[in-house]
Amino acid sequence: MKKPLLTVIFWVALVGFFGWDWMHSAPIDVRQEPPLIAAGSGQAPSGAHCAATF
Amino acid sequence: MKRIFLAVVVIAFVFMLAWFVALRQALLFLVGLGMGAVLAGMRFGFTTGWRKLIEQRDPSGVLAQLALLGLAAILCMPMLAAYPKDLEAALGPPSFSLIIGAFVFGAAMQVADGCGSGTLYKAGLGIPLNTAILPVFAVGSFLGSATLERWLSLGAMRPYGLVAHFGAGEALGVTLLGLIVLGALVVRWSGRSARLLDHKLLLGAVLLAVLAALNLAIAGQPWGIVYGFGLWAAKVATAAGLFDPAANHFWSEAVNMTTLRQSVFLDVTSITDIGILAGALWVALGKPRSAAKPLTGVQWTVGIVAGFLLGYSSRLAFGCNIGAMVSGISTGSVHGWIWVFMAFLGSLLGVRVRRHFAF
Repeated sequence: MKKPLLTVIFWVALVGFFGWDWMHSAPIDVRQEPPLIAAGSGQAPSGAHCAATF
Repeated sequence: MKRIFLAVVVIAFVFMLAWFVALRQALLFLVGLGMGAVLAGMRFGFTTGWRKLIEQRDPSGVLAQLALLGLAAILCMPMLAAYPKDLEAALGPPSFSLIIGAFVFGAAMQVADGCGSGTLYKAGLGIPLNTAILPVFAVGSFLGSATLERWLSLGAMRPYGLVAHFGAGEALGVTLLGLIVLGALVVRWSGRSARLLDHKLLLGAVLLAVLAALNLAIAGQPWGIVYGFGLWAAKVATAAGLFDPAANHFWSEAVNMTTLRQSVFLDVTSITDIGILAGALWVALGKPRSAAKPLTGVQWTVGIVAGFLLGYSSRLAFGCNIGAMVSGISTGSVHGWIWVFMAFLGSLLGVRVRRHFAF
């Protein structure tokens, strides 16, 4: 497969996935927005990380 | 012209994130964009650095990586001590899972010519093998997380964080001492005639350390790569009816169920991953397209298998070169040190496999 074709397929698939995900995920409640900067916010981090076992 | 188009898309995406998702996510995307630009623009390759040390006794790449780890630790550890409730370290459990996973990851990254960040930025640059590997990496990462409980049942200790146990000063001292010892061993192995410093890579190390610290301050958790990949594949598998997250130990946990339900644009790891891809694409558009060496069918097959193993083993190892090594060591996790040792042993095997298949 030629490089430009593979690259195009990759980006189309990736953008398509993000579009599909946006349409099918739970709506975002912007009133529950996380703090802009976690440090000093007083809120515990809520995301998952690669190192976590859960 | 292409760069102007990309700049417009990036600016529109930043505004979309800020308006419809969260300001924090817009900021993290920009941090990821910077990471991608630095990784791709300066060709800051963890895999290549290790391979050059092993095969050519060239220590410049590894010494730049050690500088990155030290600078990131200097920036991150005091932050973790100052905000213990707001920020968390990249703590993975010392375990058989970690030992096996890191060894396999170290071998596979040499065959696939890319680790976690390397696969991401090289896919962004349009390098064919890494572009093809990324989706397979995601599938492997998802399956690794889905079977993690079984690997952990082989035996695991509780995660050990140096900052929490000793405080920032002592943790930083121990970490810097460890890095200096490693650096001395690397220089000794390389011999007197070796070129020690590569200024471009050192600049890359400084910039990446600052960006990694920004990631921690903004997201509340250290820089990671592979959780995002696994999440993307888990979403597809769940939507296709191939996977029931409620019946799986890892994905049924509250935090993972939440990330599965919500947009990937809200996931801190995914958004920096997307930024890295965009940053690498920005670099790629500014350079003339170079002709990559065509691969044989066997090389493609071996490379894709290695890509799958990269994904699977990165979850067993509680991170890749970024989540486990950079973030683990710079935030004081003992598992980061075990990861480096085992992954380097794996790389000793991996460079030989790479040579065997004439990559």
